[in-house]
Amino acid sequence: MAAVQPPSPSPSPSPSPSRPSDLMEWIKSEVVPEGLEFRMGNENRVFVRVKPEDVDMLAERFIRKYGVRIIHVTGVDLGIPGSDIVYLYDFSKQRERLVIALEANVPPERPEVPSVARVTWQASWAEREMMEFLGVTALNAPDTRHQFLPFEWPQPAESQTKQQASTVMKPAPGAGAVPGEEKWLPVGIRDAYSSLIPIGPYHPGVIEGQIVQVKVEGESVVDADIKTGFHHRGIQRLIERRGYNKGVFTAERVCGICSGAHGLAYVTAVENLYGAEVPERARYIRTLLVELNRVHSHLLWLGVVSDVIGFKTGFMLTWGIRERIMDIIEEITGNRVNYGIWRLGGVSRDVSQELAQRVRSIVKGVGDEAKPLLLDVAAHPVLRSRLVGVGRLSYAQAFNGGAVGPVARASNWKIDVRMDNPPHAVYDPAKISWEVITEDGCDTMARTLVRVRELFVSIGIIDQCLDYLSKTTGEVRIKPREIPKNAEGIGLNEAPRGELAYYIRAGEGNLPQAVRIRTPSYRNNALIPFMLIGSNLADVPVIMGSTDQCLACTDRFEVIDTKTERICRLTWDDLVCLSRKSSGGA
Amino acid sequence: MSAPARILRKVIRKYSRPMTLSYPSTAMGEKRYSQIPPKLRGIPERDLEKCIGCKACYYVCSGRATTPVMVDGKLVMQINLSRCTFCGHCEEACPEEAIKMTPRFELAVRDKTRPEMFVETTLDMAVCACCGRPFIAQKQLKRSFERLNEKIDKSVRDEVAADFRKVEQYCPECKRARSVGLDTHTKKHVWVEGA
Amino acid sequence: MALDPVLTAVGVALIVPISLFLGVIYSFLLRKITARLQWRVGPMVQMYSDLAPILGRSRILQPLYDVLKLFGKETLVPDVPHKGLFKAAPYLSLAFAVLAVFFIPFPGLPLLSAVPYSMIIASYLIIAAVMFTIIGPAASGSPWGAIGARREAELFLIAELAFVVSLFSVAYAQGTLTLWNLAIDVGRPLNFVLFAMAGVLMFLAMLGKLHIKPFDIPEAETEIVAGPYTEYSGKYLGMFFLTRVFLFYGLVGLFVAAFLPPLSSSLLWLPVYAAAAVLLVFLLSAIHTLSPRYRIDTALVSYSKLVIALGIASFAVALVLRLVV
Repeated sequence: MAAVQPPSPSPSPSPSPSRPSDLMEWIKSEVVPEGLEFRMGNENRVFVRVKPEDVDMLAERFIRKYGVRIIHVTGVDLGIPGSDIVYLYDFSKQRERLVIALEANVPPERPEVPSVARVTWQASWAEREMMEFLGVTALNAPDTRHQFLPFEWPQPAESQTKQQASTVMKPAPGAGAVPGEEKWLPVGIRDAYSSLIPIGPYHPGVIEGQIVQVKVEGESVVDADIKTGFHHRGIQRLIERRGYNKGVFTAERVCGICSGAHGLAYVTAVENLYGAEVPERARYIRTLLVELNRVHSHLLWLGVVSDVIGFKTGFMLTWGIRERIMDIIEEITGNRVNYGIWRLGGVSRDVSQELAQRVRSIVKGVGDEAKPLLLDVAAHPVLRSRLVGVGRLSYAQAFNGGAVGPVARASNWKIDVRMDNPPHAVYDPAKISWEVITEDGCDTMARTLVRVRELFVSIGIIDQCLDYLSKTTGEVRIKPREIPKNAEGIGLNEAPRGELAYYIRAGEGNLPQAVRIRTPSYRNNALIPFMLIGSNLADVPVIMGSTDQCLACTDRFEVIDTKTERICRLTWDDLVCLSRKSSGGA
Repeated sequence: MSAPARILRKVIRKYSRPMTLSYPSTAMGEKRYSQIPPKLRGIPERDLEKCIGCKACYYVCSGRATTPVMVDGKLVMQINLSRCTFCGHCEEACPEEAIKMTPRFELAVRDKTRPEMFVETTLDMAVCACCGRPFIAQKQLKRSFERLNEKIDKSVRDEVAADFRKVEQYCPECKRARSVGLDTHTKKHVWVEGA
Repeated sequence: MALDPVLTAVGVALIVPISLFLGVIYSFLLRKITARLQWRVGPMVQMYSDLAPILGRSRILQPLYDVLKLFGKETLVPDVPHKGLFKAAPYLSLAFAVLAVFFIPFPGLPLLSAVPYSMIIASYLIIAAVMFTIIGPAASGSPWGAIGARREAELFLIAELAFVVSLFSVAYAQGTLTLWNLAIDVGRPLNFVLFAMAGVLMFLAMLGKLHIKPFDIPEAETEIVAGPYTEYSGKYLGMFFLTRVFLFYGLVGLFVAAFLPPLSSSLLWLPVYAAAAVLLVFLLSAIHTLSPRYRIDTALVSYSKLVIALGIASFAVALVLRLVV
């Protein structure tokens, strides 16, 4: 990670939304004078076209001078015209709700762009993914390993020039040294002092498939590396094929726990494309559902962390409380997990006044019961001994590494999309009073406290929304307008895990040309290796759990052959042959 | 009192009343639907009388579960419940309000081709008088005529009805081929409400 | 007291099914009480009437059914050099646990507890049973087994210290190393203080030996998969479970024999024995439910502080009782 000093507390945003004209002036003259083309989107999103050679210099300027964060780095393959690389920067602390997107076009014969990951660690995973899927090379990138594919899969740029694209490349077992693999001992079970322990892909302490390789000496972790990519389902491509209306349901199903947040981010992004008006009542219903989602997700997380440290009672109790919240969600939306009420221009179902009153009393009862119980669970001495001081992530590390969500807020970095860049719901402090919770412990206990207190704040927001809904009536849906061609929309939302970003570019025939999703765990997972170093082996699942991972997978096995001490991958056919061999035939 | 003791005091109060509920189903011989909210999005059900075979549900289905299938010259609108995501889009899109999402949710079968996994509506098709192909459901033809009648200005109603009768037995291709001879051209101005 | 060979032989033959049954009941109670304290239902004492034809009237022997199920599953042996030790460890562990049970008195069956130095023999047999849960997994060739075995060894040191100090302070105060003599004789009324302190110490030792939270560190399934038992499957895992069942009975029986004196002596005390055992299991379950798992380094530190403090105190009380009173 580059050792960049965090800037002094950034200047507070201007009190009124910037007028488009002086915003454009400011950007043209001061922020990006090298821009070739400037376009203003809806709601203070600005799209600037730049030359590919300038992107790293601009990244340096944005990050060091203005102290902004990178939201995402992604690319759109346009075919013959080359590829468009898009860099999203969050300027919401400088000017209210400002997101600047730099777009650089690289020609197909020379798909190279200078690496931004060299400037800041925040873009490292995004750049690896871009190199892997688009075939664009980032020059001088610090980490060129594959992001999703297995490490020994050939680099895509090589395969296009050396092999025919139609043959499927099968990796040879134990094939070629991958840069970065030399520093790992090949299995290390027999090493005198340290051993290499793979946590995953299957491990009872880790919910979803990933590999975290930890090198331990005794019980203390010396080095760590994380590999994800097991859950890649190609959802971005699915939404591109299905269209905007059906894409709502697909986007919801990216994650089961935070499906409400994905739904809201997607409809915000599409409504941002055509500049939608959403009725007030629909906004309140949206806020209600996203906050209910947050409550149930934080309760789930508390249960999971309790389970990981062995406190099964905490697990059962928090999930018991969560069941009542799920019943409420089921009554309002018709389903516990995938709400299915997000529509472009509003919501599909109304919450009647009687329902709102009844739910309000239930939520109040749940809140009153849950608060002392959760505070007791968090004050348990053995739990404190497991969580305090574990998995430290200082403010500088969080800032440079690009942490989002409760992980960042527990390191005393006050970022929250609901305050900075609100989605199309009601988060205006003038209408609903709430606050952003930060802690300065920087460890797992601080993250726990941030989530518990956020839960209480969410219950307060839910109460105020239900109060409004039970006293007023109104329409809940406005028909969407036509989406202009070549429009671009950015939708941001605060999922329970952090900032969720959707970037949509409209294409031909009422279908999007590009849909790019950047989930919060994408960022937080990149920071896990830094949190693991120096901790005890017993804390590894706890630390991984404290970032509240949400991954999703294609399965591959990793086999360590102890005799030759090599790692090889098995494909589906190999596994089938293996199973037939040992059990004596089909 | 320390935190573990407080937790113990809270849990011991519910010692004999666990949170476990019984499964709400009819399989055990009891109907206990109190836990299921009435507006649960469960299995969609189509009203045979109201469906006109317009295929709007097919166009908006987000899971590609609803498909129109031709069986023995009849149109069968078929919802494959193993692909349905129970989103309710078809309920919103249906112009005749024929589809309703019921609160039923039990779908377990051993074989996905069993008839319980399909919600089917069979409709008779109108056959073209010229080429002999079935081209639209009879009910859809009738209903579109009724809807047109509701909106038309009364003075031209009979004229429009006569024109409609001339063309309703032809499929779109044959209609195009014979349009000159049918004498239903736009020389006549027809005022329709809301157009 | 001389052993009556016939009575002893009958007792030894009867105690195996009795201890198995009681151990299963104690395991069931642990699961049931843990479940109820977590707002759940747990394994059923009386099954729902509509499910009873399919599942049976009562599931009170559920731990036994789990063991029997394991015996029916496929046993996989990893391809490591020390296969013999790997395979022998569960058998030996079970054998030592069953042998240890013979030296612990049951109301109405003195068994071999009247043999001189039976307390030391019983302690060593229990140590041996636990020892093979360290040696076997260490030979399993998996990193999880190695870490689990190491953690078990570290925990074992402190749990053993508590175990030995508590037993020996009571033995010192009463002046005998034979369990039968401890079981029949209450002694002076002041012994009550000693029994309380040493009893708490022994309770702590039981937490460590039976892998009850907060000290179930070796079996931390969310950290090291199954710990020592990772590579064991099928009948070997079943044997380890059975070892645990016998050890549960053995430790509860030992507790009642050494610290609640007259309860193990004759058949008339059987209801009170049962009540005391159930109360003990209830306390174990409550502690099991209410605590997260310690990390091994903090566990050793806090565990050993408590154990050493209580150990010194109880030995001092025993000294006073033996010499002064």
